[in-house]
Amino acid sequence: MLALLPQAIIDGVLLGGIYLTVAMGFSLAFGVLHIIDFAVGEWIMLGAFIGLIFTKWLGVDALLSLPVVFVIFAVVGWLLQPLLHRVLSGSRGRPVLMGLVFTFGLALAFRGSALTVFGIFTHSLDTVLSQGSWHLDWGPFFLTVPLIRLAGLVYALAVILGFNYLLKRTDFGLAVRAVAQNKEAAGLMGVDVNRTSAAVYGLYVGISAMTGVFIGAIVSLNAGMGPDLSIFAFFVVVLAGMGYLAGVPWAAFLLGLIQSFFLIYFNPSHVLLALFSILYLILLISPTGMFRKGV
Amino acid sequence: MRGRPAWLWILLVIAAVGTVPLLIADAFFLRLFTEALMWIGLAITWDLMAGYIGYLNFGHGVFFGVGAYTAALLITKGGWPFWPALALGGLAAGLVALVSGWPTLRLRGAYFAIGTWALNRAVGQVALVLDFTGGPDGMRLPPFLHPQFFAYVMLGVVGATFLILWLLLEQAPFGLKLKAIREDESGSLAIGLNPAWLKLQAFVLSAVPTGILGGVYAYWITFIDPSSTLGDLITDQAVVMAIFGGLGTLIGPVIGAVLFFSFKTYFWAYLSDYQVLYLIILGLAIAATVFFLPDGFWGTVANRWEGRRALRKGLSLGQAAGT
Repeated sequence: MLALLPQAIIDGVLLGGIYLTVAMGFSLAFGVLHIIDFAVGEWIMLGAFIGLIFTKWLGVDALLSLPVVFVIFAVVGWLLQPLLHRVLSGSRGRPVLMGLVFTFGLALAFRGSALTVFGIFTHSLDTVLSQGSWHLDWGPFFLTVPLIRLAGLVYALAVILGFNYLLKRTDFGLAVRAVAQNKEAAGLMGVDVNRTSAAVYGLYVGISAMTGVFIGAIVSLNAGMGPDLSIFAFFVVVLAGMGYLAGVPWAAFLLGLIQSFFLIYFNPSHVLLALFSILYLILLISPTGMFRKGV
Repeated sequence: MRGRPAWLWILLVIAAVGTVPLLIADAFFLRLFTEALMWIGLAITWDLMAGYIGYLNFGHGVFFGVGAYTAALLITKGGWPFWPALALGGLAAGLVALVSGWPTLRLRGAYFAIGTWALNRAVGQVALVLDFTGGPDGMRLPPFLHPQFFAYVMLGVVGATFLILWLLLEQAPFGLKLKAIREDESGSLAIGLNPAWLKLQAFVLSAVPTGILGGVYAYWITFIDPSSTLGDLITDQAVVMAIFGGLGTLIGPVIGAVLFFSFKTYFWAYLSDYQVLYLIILGLAIAATVFFLPDGFWGTVANRWEGRRALRKGLSLGQAAGT
């Protein structure tokens, strides 16, 4: 059993990297727009399917669909954000909750559409990296690292670095941080709050959809996978503390590790159950996340 | 409504609805009648948390499923008669609400919604992996084929629930206290209310009738499995009914439940080839209601009504003052 330990850790870290990208976008959207997006798993699922269509249609490698998926979904998010804004700034007492209900409705509609169009079957995305893997033997221990998972980690790091650059080094990032801190004041300083918000939402939707392509290539994709992925995203963001970006990587890697340990050492059909229980306990003990720095 | 107390009207309406199964004995119609009543019960109990306190419980189905499974286990494994099993189903749901609500209700807003959603999926998974619940195969109950009996049991449960909720929420100070929490939780604490205790009371109050409904459902349908009693669809449909009808009122969810259930029946009767289409419509209905009718159907109608009455009153006052 111990021989499998490095494998479990590596698998967990590589998987965690994938969740990290979704959780980053999700956390950013929450920080800037104060939106809790129930449809996050559905964006991932739809992104994976658009990638699949693109790959099948042109007969090219799935990795080449990444920029296409990003652009399509960034535009969709950009166009959707004004609707969300109207719901969130409504006259009704609790706009945040109305926003939650709104995205909940969107999630159902997306899932239903995907089930209608793509059916209930599980597909997988093929890339040149799908078959290759690295083997390492070291005494009693051994390690298999599929190249596509490694590519996922590289992608995750690229997204994180890109985020970091965008938020810390550009005017746009300055505007985003200003809006996150104080909407009115940012508006008074000449920041176009509506455009910044729409761009953030577009960025978040685009990245989530792009990650969907990786999840489709690493694991699999089917039209009903949205809710579980939404739970994963919530798990990471809540664990890190809502809106606390620095906590996100730790939470994401923890999620990946929990998942891979359950897959290797316990019953894989209990993975979700374990995650739900942990999420639940965490929410009970510390609603502001494991660093107690959330909102 | 002056002169005759309102509770008399409610009893009259319930009695009038009670004559329907006597007049129409068609089995299919009775089935629809019973199910419509069940959804009314689910929608008003969901609205108790969402509309009155502002806590979105996306795990409402847990209570329904726990009630259904408790009653089913007692009837099949324990050989209990229907009524005590039903009562214990409600009690079990209340207990789940007490245990899970004690810590979760400290979570505000979105955290509560997510926490209860996770709870629902976790409980669904438990029912799937356990042996004595039959896992994914579900459980069969001894059939008791008497449609009118179930129509009246459902009417009794839902009618009693409506009356109790109406007394507590619209007549007693309890409802005002809950609304105070909805408007400003810290403020309600400051004026001497105990929000934690009130929320827990309301949570249990919304759970017990839901559990009883689950028990009735189990004995009525005679077959339960995790997806039919603990699936997302129970909560999802209660949500769309309550929101479409109008949050924060008792009559709104009733109207929403009747309208949406009629639509659902029509849909399943004529478009059952396109089952997944139902999910799309459900989702779009939720999103469109939040977008266009944030006060819900009843809220919008009532607002317009109020506005017109106030206008007329103002006009007549103005005339009286002017002449």
